[in-house]
Amino acid sequence: MPPRLRTSNFPSAVTCPSIRPTSVSQPAQKAREFSQSSCRQVTLRRRNFYAWLNGPGRALKQPIPNSTNYLGAYDKYGNLVRASPGWQVRQKEAQKNATSDVGSEATGTDGDAAPVVGQEADEPDMAARRLEEEAQAAGKKDEDDRLPPETTEDLRPFPLNRFFRSQAVLSEELREAIYQYMVDPVESRSVPGTSSYFGVSNERVGAVLRLKQMEKEWIAQGKTLAIPYSKAVLAMLPTTPHVGDGPNKRPMIHEPINDLIVHPATRQQLFVPVAESRQFTRVDAGKAFDNDLLPADERIPHPEMVNVERDMVNGYGAEERLERAKERMMTRLTAKAEKEDAQKKAEKEALTRVPKRRWDFVVQDISVESVGRNGRDHRGVGWRYGLPHQDRKKGQVKIPTSVEA
Amino acid sequence: MRKKPRFHSLKKLRVRQDWSRWSLYSISQLKTQNVATRTYFQQKWTAKSMTRAYHGEQIREKKWKRQFKRNLPAVVPMDHKYLARFDGSEQAAGRGAGVDVQSQQSRPFMTPYMQMTYYPIERRLDTAIFRALFASSVRQARQFCVHGLVKVNGKKMPFPGYMLNPGDLFQVEPSSVMFATGAPKSRSSTARKVAKEKASARAEEREKAPKLPPSTGPESLTTREEPTPTELKKHMQALIENVEDVLNEDVGAKDKQKFRALRQQIKKSVGLWKTASPESVSTLDKQFEFLRSAVDAKNDPAPSPRDASEGTSMISVEDQQKLKRAFEKLKLETEHTSAWNKRNAAAPYATPWRPRDYMTAFAFIPRYLEVNQNICAAVYLRHPVARPGLAEVPTPFHVETGQLAFNWYLRRR
Repeated sequence: MPPRLRTSNFPSAVTCPSIRPTSVSQPAQKAREFSQSSCRQVTLRRRNFYAWLNGPGRALKQPIPNSTNYLGAYDKYGNLVRASPGWQVRQKEAQKNATSDVGSEATGTDGDAAPVVGQEADEPDMAARRLEEEAQAAGKKDEDDRLPPETTEDLRPFPLNRFFRSQAVLSEELREAIYQYMVDPVESRSVPGTSSYFGVSNERVGAVLRLKQMEKEWIAQGKTLAIPYSKAVLAMLPTTPHVGDGPNKRPMIHEPINDLIVHPATRQQLFVPVAESRQFTRVDAGKAFDNDLLPADERIPHPEMVNVERDMVNGYGAEERLERAKERMMTRLTAKAEKEDAQKKAEKEALTRVPKRRWDFVVQDISVESVGRNGRDHRGVGWRYGLPHQDRKKGQVKIPTSVEA
Repeated sequence: MRKKPRFHSLKKLRVRQDWSRWSLYSISQLKTQNVATRTYFQQKWTAKSMTRAYHGEQIREKKWKRQFKRNLPAVVPMDHKYLARFDGSEQAAGRGAGVDVQSQQSRPFMTPYMQMTYYPIERRLDTAIFRALFASSVRQARQFCVHGLVKVNGKKMPFPGYMLNPGDLFQVEPSSVMFATGAPKSRSSTARKVAKEKASARAEEREKAPKLPPSTGPESLTTREEPTPTELKKHMQALIENVEDVLNEDVGAKDKQKFRALRQQIKKSVGLWKTASPESVSTLDKQFEFLRSAVDAKNDPAPSPRDASEGTSMISVEDQQKLKRAFEKLKLETEHTSAWNKRNAAAPYATPWRPRDYMTAFAFIPRYLEVNQNICAAVYLRHPVARPGLAEVPTPFHVETGQLAFNWYLRRR
């Protein structure tokens, strides 16, 4: 049997061009004849996709130096909204110039320099003045080239979501400053004090300290840090800079530090009739919502700031205020320590110790009732007869819920 | 069996949690729903399917449904000065006696609760790794967990579904982070061909370029003859080329600024090449040499400052010191940078390291994380919250879409 002739191997003169589909202008793919998928048709969707990528989306491919580069900063034609009109054109030109040869530029400057040289003979100081002028012009041009700082609009990675924006992170210097402030060998600093000084929340201060310590350990151990990554990422993000030490210099506020958590009890709307003569304060309002709900002054992370401010309003001097703040802090600390001690003591008393020669017997009171109604409560102790363990069953989660630090 | 639908399809645009160009395109093409012609159920269904394609698409629907919570967390920023001055009774004072509020006070922003529907998912370890910019997609972050590259509080955590608790510190292997976020290594045959061509072009340039500066530069220094202006100009052009070569290599942003300043200076002097003296050119040359040595030679940092002090003896002492200080700072930085960012064929990413394409459009770190990029570690500070005018769960969708999705999971349909 003679080998079959494949249609694609025919010369083009054999197949009639009018029969061929005109839309698919694709050379015959001999290597991929086994493939069932349609060959790369350039569909409208794909064309639009690439048109967008090479048009408006092109600016997002590479970072802008010293600036963020989010989708929200561009209009739908791919123009950077906050930049001066000719900025993008100039950027493109600058890129082109950087790649193209320098010779053409030099010839351009030759033409500019020629008249200067002619006048230089009779007026020697003229050249210097011109130099200065040129420098000024260059400076002005630099200002034009520089981008204005981002507005909140420009920090939107998702243009449709008006309620999300890229918020500033701590800069490398500020992290170092916080660390140095906390580990100051001369004066011991508290976390709330550092937090209110730098305008950084309590938790973040602790985290910065922990992470910085870890970093220093790594450096001491000679581990490789991801410095190129770190630099690139911090250049892409908005950062809170560190304002250096000095008179009249306060650190820039990074985030609101007195955030009040919305308590579920306050989500409802209440109508509480109150006598006109009564002073209905925040404390009363808290009680109206929930009997145990404290007023906002005590539920915020920095109640001590409110107290200091109150002293100021009441007309205490600076020294007195400091004294009172210290006193309050001491009472708070002692109260906390006492409470902890009492708890420990209570725990200890719950156990009965029977001393023996080598070991002590420790007896703990257990309630049978703690297994609950169906006998499956996790507080129940011991293996219950007839109650199978569930942990081999399908769908039982064995992922740990917490990891000890 | 039915073919699995494409993860990134142009037919059905879906925003996914990754840094791909398809996601970027889908974000740019997102629109609010047409509410006029569709039933409420249809709207909710579409909203749910769109948001679920982004938020935790690796989680099964049943599992997510059990995680869904209808109570959404929020905070209100308080002013301690206001709290100290007023006890709250002034808001209602005299209202019963007919006192009316005179001026409408500026109303606070709306708290976007409806953008917080998917906040339990942000607690997952894999999502947190993605949000901390340690992985280029959630699926990759998940793979990092499964492969044992992630530690939580110093212990290996192989479960991507681990729910982080406030205060948990998680860290990812830095080399994996650099692989995930760096530009990929080009391995295709065409890429290899292009690289070869480029290398040959560079070699040609190198053959051409160094001929000029050593021939003219040392001559002008040693013989101290008045070089012809045309010669000087050529020399400076060669300098600029050298600087541009340096700029084309990957160096830190700050160094680039320095180089740019230097280049500006040189360009200016090229413009005024007739007035340029051999001295000024030599100092520029030295400046550049110093910069170059600071950038290039890392193994032996000691001789470079000595060279500079010898070479720049022509300029004044103050300038010299200023230069030295600037350069020392520069050196310290570059030492660090280039020590870790040199060419390395063994690395699984393109070296010298640079961020991958389109990373900038997705680069943001939400406030509930505190990240230290140097050690690729982050702390989960608290659960994400909504505050007036701002929701901390990053979601690309409109509030109405979020609301519809929330309503879907309330199960009143």
